[in-house]
Amino acid sequence: MDSHALTFAVSHHTILRYSEAVSPSYNEVRMRPRDRGTQRTLTFALITSPPAVPRSRVDFFGNTVHRVDIGDPHDTLAMAVETVVESALPRGRSSPAGWDPATLERDARLEYALASPRVPLGPSTAALSREWIGDDRSFDALVELSMLIPREFRYLTGATTVDSSIEDLLGGGAGVCQDFSHLFLAVARHAGWPARYVSGYLGPEGEHASTSGVSHAWVEVCGADGTWAGLDPTHGGHVGPHHLRLAVGRDYGDVAPHRGVFYGTAHASTPEVTVRVTRMSERAARTAERGAALYWQQQQQQ
Amino acid sequence: MIATPGPACPPLPVGADECVTASGAPRPAYARTLAAALGDAAMLTDMRDRAIAWFAGRGITFGVPALEGAPIIPFDPIPRVLAATEWRAIDRALAQRVMALDAFVADCYGAQRALRDGVVPARLVYSSTGYLRDLVGVRPPRATHCHVAGIDVVRVDGTFLVLEDNVRVPSGIAYALVAREATLELARDWITAAGVRSIDGYASRLRRTLERIAPRPWEARIAVLTPGPYNAAFFEHRMLADAIGGVLVSGDEIVVHEDEVYCRCASGLERVDVIYSRVNAEWLDPLLFRPESLLGPPGLVEAWRRGNVAIANAPGSGVADDKAIYPYVPAMVRYYLGEEPLIDNVPTYDISDDRQRRHVVAHLDRMVIKPVDSSGGYGVTFGRLMSAAERAATAAELEAQPRGWLAQEEVALSRALCLSPNGGLEARAVDLRPFVLLDEQPWVVPGGLTRVARDTETLVVNSSQGGGSKDTWILTR
Repeated sequence: MDSHALTFAVSHHTILRYSEAVSPSYNEVRMRPRDRGTQRTLTFALITSPPAVPRSRVDFFGNTVHRVDIGDPHDTLAMAVETVVESALPRGRSSPAGWDPATLERDARLEYALASPRVPLGPSTAALSREWIGDDRSFDALVELSMLIPREFRYLTGATTVDSSIEDLLGGGAGVCQDFSHLFLAVARHAGWPARYVSGYLGPEGEHASTSGVSHAWVEVCGADGTWAGLDPTHGGHVGPHHLRLAVGRDYGDVAPHRGVFYGTAHASTPEVTVRVTRMSERAARTAERGAALYWQQQQQQ
Repeated sequence: MIATPGPACPPLPVGADECVTASGAPRPAYARTLAAALGDAAMLTDMRDRAIAWFAGRGITFGVPALEGAPIIPFDPIPRVLAATEWRAIDRALAQRVMALDAFVADCYGAQRALRDGVVPARLVYSSTGYLRDLVGVRPPRATHCHVAGIDVVRVDGTFLVLEDNVRVPSGIAYALVAREATLELARDWITAAGVRSIDGYASRLRRTLERIAPRPWEARIAVLTPGPYNAAFFEHRMLADAIGGVLVSGDEIVVHEDEVYCRCASGLERVDVIYSRVNAEWLDPLLFRPESLLGPPGLVEAWRRGNVAIANAPGSGVADDKAIYPYVPAMVRYYLGEEPLIDNVPTYDISDDRQRRHVVAHLDRMVIKPVDSSGGYGVTFGRLMSAAERAATAAELEAQPRGWLAQEEVALSRALCLSPNGGLEARAVDLRPFVLLDEQPWVVPGGLTRVARDTETLVVNSSQGGGSKDTWILTR
């Protein structure tokens, strides 16, 4: 095991309440951390109440999606995710090169340089892109941008909702990580960069320490060599090993942790979400690692 | 100039270039089949009146049948006649075109070769509302996507051109089938004497096409999925369901349980193997696409992805139906099939391309401007008819929203003889929508739906714009 890796235990609990019993309900859940790059998932469990056997698939963006169908009438759906994630220190910060526009036009990554449902490319963000980035095609301009946004806008929980638009942030002057990330994506895409939305968690700094209530969002920018580099437009600058990646997409709409449809006349309340991220000790991490290895071994033998 | 073809035939309007040559003489295909009938104005008027009663009696409407007084499609009793040689060319050309469209859809959800090779701009595909990225990597049964296509063909200066490709949920075949039924009922001697190819085989061909993609070919329970009785084409959905021995269902009558699809029937839940969907794919599954949609059951797309149910046309085919992508169809034919296109597009401009957009703005008076994701002729405007202020507004709109529009040169549609309201003959613009079924090989229905403009002035033939229909006769020799 990489001794420079940090290990985190994540509990992510969601409770959905309906005004009356519904049946059946169909749910798509994107809550499994990604196994790409410097991050891997050592253990993962998704337990629901009422109970269900989730089936999984991998979506267009490479995120694991669990399908949870509940057949019996229920007025509450609880989903508990317990997972242990190992995150290695990046081997030095990458500073990807910009794209030749003609090359990008024929590349699949072009998708991330275009407008998306939650990141429309309108005149207001075009003006900001000219003002903040102008003709600077370097990645440094984007690092600057990630530090500029938290200076220009106030981080204020409750200033916006999960459905708020970029215009709401520009008009109100305050928002949360989701709004900052959407604004970053719009400005970067106007400047011709493929850039995507990342949802995840921010782990605590010290050993044994834990943070609660933190679902986080940031962005990744793709360079001409095809590598993605993470930037955090809420805290400013590069992401580190404390940024645990859950799902990526064009914008929040692609990574929403829960999407559900049910039969019935009920209305659903806003989900109650609690997140707790704990930095595990070396010893606890090794135990988890062994557990994961044992699990794999059993899987192979079956 | 007016020519008199024979003693029995009245003077023919010269502008009716479908039926008469520039000199006014009837084209051979028409001379043979129509001369006698055209001389008998009383017979034609009588046939029209009986046809109106015939359609009304069967509840054949275009519009919302659930509402009172939905209009029947105006039916013109004079058929459109195409010679066997003319048809052979169209048949081969449309078969080729649909093969290319199908290959393109497969490519969009596969390796995206054409995008990497710059044949079709990736930008247009990735920004298309018909491109359902969540379906990339899914290979539908028999790797076929566009099982049913309706290609709109117009004749300009004697040459057939494609005006539009419809591969989402093309409608209109039922109107072609009932137009033929009406002709057989009201003028059997006439059509028998002319020697016209039958279109009866459509329903059994459609059934075979759908059976072939069933997950278990030995049992193929087919459901026709309709948006419901408020849909303009509901009559067609009901008629096709009957004709292919399928069950007609709306979204709330099918459910998905553990990735299998069932329909609620009188006898309880019955498994469904194939869905012939008349619902746009973006509305098929609220779990994946539009959460507010009730037109399809949640979980349907996952059932399809796992191969437990077949859906025609395959979800995602709409990417080939995007009007902004249409200009590139001839290039698709060359790229995927390695053949020269046997039928060309109406001259068309991609507004997203700066050079082409400038050309369109500079020649706006010659252009027809269409919204890319609308159908039924809604939102179509003619530059020729715009005021200076409207032209400036259009130019600004094209500049601001290039992805939203398509420009085509205004072309003079060929005109066919029609019975005028006062019982005389007049020339009205027509197009033709032949239907193509993609089974192992493409099959083009001999004929299809001929749509005629509302009056001699109108150039739009859409049923939603008051257009009518006529029977289409493909001669056997």
